[in-house]
Amino acid sequence: MQFVIVPGSELPIYRQIMRQVTDALSGGRLQPGDKLTSQRELAEQLVVSPLTVKKAYDELEREGLISTLRGRGTFVTAAAVATDPRQQRERLRPVVRQLLSRARLSGVTVEAVAKLLYEEEQQWNTERKRQS
Amino acid sequence: MNIVDFDNIHRAYQRGADVLNGVTFSIGAGRVVGLVGKNGAGKTTLLRVAMGMLEAQQGAVRLFGLDPRRDPLEVKRRIGFVSEDQILPPFLKVEQVLDLHRGLFPTWDDSITRDLIDRFGIPAQTKIKALSKGQARQVALLCAVAHKPELLLLDEPAAGLDPASRRDFLETSIQLLNETGSTILFSSHYMSDVERLADRIVMLHEGRVLIDSELDELREHYSLALVPHNGGTSRTTLLSLEGCLGARDRSDALHAVFNLEPESTSRLLETELGITDLLCSRIALEDMFIELAGGQQ
Repeated sequence: MQFVIVPGSELPIYRQIMRQVTDALSGGRLQPGDKLTSQRELAEQLVVSPLTVKKAYDELEREGLISTLRGRGTFVTAAAVATDPRQQRERLRPVVRQLLSRARLSGVTVEAVAKLLYEEEQQWNTERKRQS
Repeated sequence: MNIVDFDNIHRAYQRGADVLNGVTFSIGAGRVVGLVGKNGAGKTTLLRVAMGMLEAQQGAVRLFGLDPRRDPLEVKRRIGFVSEDQILPPFLKVEQVLDLHRGLFPTWDDSITRDLIDRFGIPAQTKIKALSKGQARQVALLCAVAHKPELLLLDEPAAGLDPASRRDFLETSIQLLNETGSTILFSSHYMSDVERLADRIVMLHEGRVLIDSELDELREHYSLALVPHNGGTSRTTLLSLEGCLGARDRSDALHAVFNLEPESTSRLLETELGITDLLCSRIALEDMFIELAGGQQ
């Protein structure tokens, strides 16, 4: 899998790496058993400190999403895609937080944001119906 | 044991004009520390004190537990040093400079040397004076890393290099970290390089350590508050609050950096000063630097 990082972002680099793995998992681009780029290689590829990559992999391992087999590499675990709804929900929290802060800046109320969400959901559904 | 210990380092070049005014921090094995601060903040002086090139007038520096001025040979054998104004003998060929260094270090590794020469594409038969600035810096880096030092001290290693040479330099440093796990203390004005290479930053300001933080915590536990002028809040009031690291009076608002998360900063300003119409946000390293080291206007 390909990673992209942006220094200077307010999201620490190790979190950028973690997020790309979790996004690839929820999007199905990473499957249980898939092998991840080794820490050393990824550090050289992204030109970031090996400690940063290690931190990201350690966190992902702690969350049970990946697991390192000595001498063989790092793999996506079977549990990674077992969908715990609460965890899935938690992953959206940062996005929601960002949305709310944007809304607050432009003086849009939470109720209006909720309405927007429903509208988008309906739009999405009609578009999907039309496609199928 | 720590690799580097600075304990209350003082150094002035003139009486009453301290460059370093009580600098204290330590670096454990395998850590990569980015030393930042504006010109004149004392970065170069501190690195020279670490090298034993300058003596601290007060306080103590230890590398591997040793005093670099008492045990200069033992210390220099175990460190590598690159500085912006480093001078290599101009009339020697690259090859001769490498030979010179090979003779000095028992731990010199020829395979690293060959790798880097190939990577950088430096012609070994060229005289130093015929090299570009970027190539000369690469030779200096090669000389600093080929004996696999336990500690690398880099003083503005990327200053004056074009973006491509800077990237080469970073890639080499990262390879070195991968291979040897060296401890690195480097100063830089390029915040994006600091973010890529360092896992901790130390910011010097007016000869003291203003910030000493894990890089990730910096982004997660610090914030910038923009306080509107209309409430009559003064810069001094903000500075007197606990957790306020610096405040600037700018035309749009008062800008204050806090050692607190954005939410806590908002709460603090509301309970202490009754300010509610402020903006609090996380702050990226480059902005943090500008807010803390920049001018008032």
